[in-house]
Amino acid sequence: MAATVERFRCMMCGHDYQETTDLEEDRERSCPRCRSNSIRHLKNARPAEKHGE
Amino acid sequence: MDAGRHPRIELLTHSEVEEVSGYIGNFTARIRKKARYVDPKACNSCGDCAKVCPVVVPDEFQIGLSLRKAVYIPFPQAVPSSYLIDMEHCLGNNPLACGKCSDACERQAIDYDDRDEIVTREVGAVIVAIGAEPFDPRALDEYGYSHFENVITSMEFERLISAGGPTAGHFMRPSDRQVPKRIGFVQCVGSRNPAIGRPYCSNICCMNTVKDCLLIADHYPGTETVVFYQDIRAFGKSFEDMYQRSKEAGARYVRGLPGEVEEDVKTRNLWVTVENTTSGKVERHELDMLVLSVGVDPPRDLKKISKLLTLSKTSDGFFMESHPKLRPVDAPTKGVFFCGMCESPKDIKETVCQAGAAASRAGSLLNAGQIHIEAVTSRIDAVACKKCGLCAPICPYGAIQWKKGEVATVIEAACAGCGNCGAICQYGAVTMRHFTDGQLFAQVRAMLAEDPHQKVLVFACNWCSYAGGDMAGISRLAYPASNRLVRTMCSGRVSEEMMLEGFRNGAAVVLVSGCHYADCHYINANRQTVKRVQKVWDRLEKAGIRPERLQLEWISAAEGQKFAKVMTRLEEIRKTVTPDEIERGRTALVPKAKKGAAKAEAVAAVEVPA
Repeated sequence: MAATVERFRCMMCGHDYQETTDLEEDRERSCPRCRSNSIRHLKNARPAEKHGE
Repeated sequence: MDAGRHPRIELLTHSEVEEVSGYIGNFTARIRKKARYVDPKACNSCGDCAKVCPVVVPDEFQIGLSLRKAVYIPFPQAVPSSYLIDMEHCLGNNPLACGKCSDACERQAIDYDDRDEIVTREVGAVIVAIGAEPFDPRALDEYGYSHFENVITSMEFERLISAGGPTAGHFMRPSDRQVPKRIGFVQCVGSRNPAIGRPYCSNICCMNTVKDCLLIADHYPGTETVVFYQDIRAFGKSFEDMYQRSKEAGARYVRGLPGEVEEDVKTRNLWVTVENTTSGKVERHELDMLVLSVGVDPPRDLKKISKLLTLSKTSDGFFMESHPKLRPVDAPTKGVFFCGMCESPKDIKETVCQAGAAASRAGSLLNAGQIHIEAVTSRIDAVACKKCGLCAPICPYGAIQWKKGEVATVIEAACAGCGNCGAICQYGAVTMRHFTDGQLFAQVRAMLAEDPHQKVLVFACNWCSYAGGDMAGISRLAYPASNRLVRTMCSGRVSEEMMLEGFRNGAAVVLVSGCHYADCHYINANRQTVKRVQKVWDRLEKAGIRPERLQLEWISAAEGQKFAKVMTRLEEIRKTVTPDEIERGRTALVPKAKKGAAKAEAVAAVEVPA
C-alpha cells in the first residue's frame, strides 16, 4: 500500500497533525507534542495537499 | 557434516518448507524437495560433469568473485556432497539442449527428468534458524562501493583472504590483482544508522575487523591498516585482548566515519576524507583498498516464515522472542524456537549457545510427551456460536479452527489466552476462562457502583500496564486516587462493549492500556485494541459524547513514571466532565438490540469458569 498523508488527533492534548504514513505499517503511534498514544485517525478527513492546506 | 551422518537426523537440503499446520507437539510440515537433476547416491563428486559444462555464471558462494558451472556443488562442505544442476541457467532439459554432463558422467547420475517432490513430516517442535543477510552497501553511496572497484565489503574480504576463496587465499585488490599495502576498514556500514532504518548495532562487525587486521598483519607483515569507527565494541571473553593485540600489530584506529571517498583514476587508489573526532582535525588517507564492514539485515524470508508459523518481528525487523531475558529462544507461538541471527545479530559463540538452548528446549518438550498450559484459554459455546468465523482470523496463534458454516473450535494447546476472540465475538459464544465477559462486566459495575463520576476506569493488561501500575506503587510515585483498574491478560481482551459499559455506568473517563507494540506478549494482539478504540471513539462522537473521555496508552512494566503521569492527566480530564455529560453516557450508549441481546445475557450472568 502506498504511503498517504493522513490526519490524526491526539485525544489527550487535542493536537491535530498530519503525517505521511502507510496505514498498513505496523507502527506504534504517539503524539508529537505530548507523547500520548491516544491517537485518533481522522478517517473522513481528506489529505491536506488535496485541499491545498 | 555430523548432522548429515547422524542416524536420527534427517537432513532435507535443497528443500523449502511451504506450509506448516498444527500446534505444539503436532505440527505437520509440507516440504518441497527441489529437483537436483543429479542422483546424490550415484554421484561421487568426481567433477567430470562440471568440466564439460559450457555454462558459466557468477558463483554465489564466492559472492560473485569467481564463476561456477550450471552443474555444480553449492559450496565445499555441502551435504550431500554431490553435484546438482542449476536448471535456471542450464541450456535446457526439455527439450535437451546440451547433454554434455550426462555424456561425461560414468556413473549415469544425471537425471534430466527429475522433478520437485512434496513431502510431509510430522514434528513436535520447530526450530527456526534461517540466518540473516549482509547489508547491501549500495544504499550508502558516499563510500563508493558501486563505482570504485577497490571498495569491497567485509564479506568479499573474507572470500579473498580465505584459502578456499577465488584467489586461494592470495590476497589482492580487484583492480590490478596486486597485494594492497594500505587497507582501510569502515565500521558501522548499515548499522547504528537510523537514517537508513538500521538503528541497531550488528554485533559482529567490530571483532570481525579486529580479526581481519590481525590476519593481514600475520599474512602480509608491513601492510598498513586503518580502521574508521564510531565505537569499538569489544565486549566478550578475550575480545579486548584481541583488540589491543591488533593495535600492537600495527592497526591504527581513527575515531570518525569517512564523509567522502574518491578514486585516483591513474593508480585506482582511494582517497578517504574523515574527521578524526579525537583530534578534531580533518584527515585525508590514501589507501589501496577500502573494506566496508557491513552490518546485518533481517533474513529475506522472514515474512514468509512469520506467516507459516504465526510469528512476529521486533522494531528492528528480526524475529520477536517470547521474552528477551527469560525466554530468549522461545517464539511466542508454543513449540517454536529460535536460533542464530534470525532473532538478532549475534556472533558464533552466542549462536552456538542459542542453538544448544533451542535444542534443549525442543528436546525437553518432546521427551515430556505432554505439556502444561495456562488455565487461561478460550472455550467456544457451540450452541451460542453463530458460525460467523470472526474469531479465527484475529487469533494471533492460529488457535481457532473454523470452516464456513461450521462452529469454530479452539485448539487449547495453541491458545495463549489473549482473549481477542472473546472481545470480537458479539454473540457471547467465546468464554475466556478466568476472564469471562460476566466477570469483567461485573468488575466494571462494582467499581463504578459508588460515585462513578469521580472515577477513571482503567483496563490494564496483565504483563505491562498493570505491572507499570505496580512499579508506580513500589516506587512511591504519587498519582490521583481516582483510578480503578480492571486487569485483563491483554488489552485485546477489552471489547467495545466493555469500554461502553464504563460510560453506561457513569465513568467520567475510561482508559485502555496495554503493552508497547514491540512488547506485546501475544504476538500482535494489541493491534486489535487500537481498532476497537478507534471504533468506540467514532461511536462516542456519534452519540454526542466527547471522545476524549476514552483514552489509549501503551505503558510497559518499567514505566511506573508514565503510569503516574497518565493517571494525573486523566484526572485533569475527569475534572472537566460535567454531570450532564455523565448522564449522556448513561443514556445514549444503549446496547445494539440484535447482537446486544446475546451479549447482554452473557453480561448479566457472572459465569463460573470451567
